[in-house]
Amino acid sequence: MTLLRGRGGLFAALVASGIFLAGAGMLQRSYRTQQGGRPADELLYYPSGIWVRQAALGYETVAADIAWLRAIQYYGEHRLNDQRYDMIGHVMGIVTELDPRFTEAYVFGAFVLAQELRQPQRGLELLERGMRANPESWRLAFETGFLHYVGTKNYQAAARYFTRASRLPGHPEYVERFAAFTNQRAGNRGMAILLWKRIEASGNKYMQDVARRELKRLEATEGI
Amino acid sequence: MTGAFAIAQNTIREVVRQRMVLVLALFGVALVAASQVLSPIALGEGRKVVTDFGLAGSSLLATLLAVMLGSNLLHKELERRTIYAVMAKPIRRSEFLLGKFMGLWVTSAALVAGMTAMVLALLSIVYRDTPWLLLGSLTLTVVELGVITAVVVFFSSFTTPALTAFFAMATIVAGHFADDLLYFATQGASPWITRTTEAVYWLLPHLELFNVRGQVVHGIAVAPERLAFGAAYGLLYMIALLVAAGAIFERREFR
Repeated sequence: MTLLRGRGGLFAALVASGIFLAGAGMLQRSYRTQQGGRPADELLYYPSGIWVRQAALGYETVAADIAWLRAIQYYGEHRLNDQRYDMIGHVMGIVTELDPRFTEAYVFGAFVLAQELRQPQRGLELLERGMRANPESWRLAFETGFLHYVGTKNYQAAARYFTRASRLPGHPEYVERFAAFTNQRAGNRGMAILLWKRIEASGNKYMQDVARRELKRLEATEGI
Repeated sequence: MTGAFAIAQNTIREVVRQRMVLVLALFGVALVAASQVLSPIALGEGRKVVTDFGLAGSSLLATLLAVMLGSNLLHKELERRTIYAVMAKPIRRSEFLLGKFMGLWVTSAALVAGMTAMVLALLSIVYRDTPWLLLGSLTLTVVELGVITAVVVFFSSFTTPALTAFFAMATIVAGHFADDLLYFATQGASPWITRTTEAVYWLLPHLELFNVRGQVVHGIAVAPERLAFGAAYGLLYMIALLVAAGAIFERREFR
């Protein structure tokens, strides 16, 4: 340890510290390369939301935020890599278990399940759970109607949910319009375009990307 | 009572001088700032992230302050023998204890209030919105801190600082699990276990009663009945613990 005394010793210590740090970084990099750049598989080991809720000791909403940030990271990484989002339902289940009022987590989770995993039924189940926890949320009712319209093509159910959304407090004016249109124009392509345009205008950046993709697809099939 | 106020003032001065308070306050500022850094990646939920981290961080740091400093407060007086000088004055031991409690409670409450004010200022500047209903959560968190401080003072009246901190943390954890404890005890356990658990359930502080963070963060105001009930429960619990602590401390022999 006497070697470390004095100005020269301090310099040597800093250099040695830098070398060890660089070594650790290189090791970590090679480990990641060996893993084949597989993104965020650790979500497999996320525990059930009920247990996290117990362990959070009154700080559940912060735990929900952390899980939400992790879920977005997971989605973003898989979008760039393999477009597989198998764990998104699980992690959104945890987020909403921790914070049952987190409307955006129900909406985004259901959206990914329906549009990316092509499992609209699972998406609708997540939204149903959200509506049970937040019966006054017009947004959840509206998004359920949306998924019924563009996902399961159950226009009657879509109309029912749009109507329900239009009766809930705080809904914007366009909800009433969609409720009226769906009853008149069930299955109409123009109606689907309007709904996707609404997502393009109001959804988060990932939802907007999907909306643009769907709008392009609808435009491409227009002449068929 | 004047004696208790004098002790409280002195305790505040003593606590504020501790380096740990500064560290915790700086950590709080860093936490609020860091939550703001996280908000762009929160996919439109930045406001919620800032509010959640701010409220939870302030409560957690103030709890740590109350437990870590509180468990040492009485012991220091005994160790430095300054308590003899205080006891030589016309002041009762229970008043001394009450003063210590009030000083510590005011300091931890000031920390949590300061951090909540920072969150409010940040939300006003960045999101052009001042959610005053966070004050409902602040009120109940302050009462919760009073209960936690009373728990710390109670244990420190008869045991060592390390054990005080351990017992206080265990009480806080169990206090959050109180309802679950009762639920599990009533699920087919023997009558003896059920009765014992019920007794423990009523003895524990029901800390979840003061937790309205998940509500205010979504813009739902705290009902006045909830505030009144929380404040009344908290005050009664504090009084009960301080009376017991005073009785123990009056009989304690200083060596």
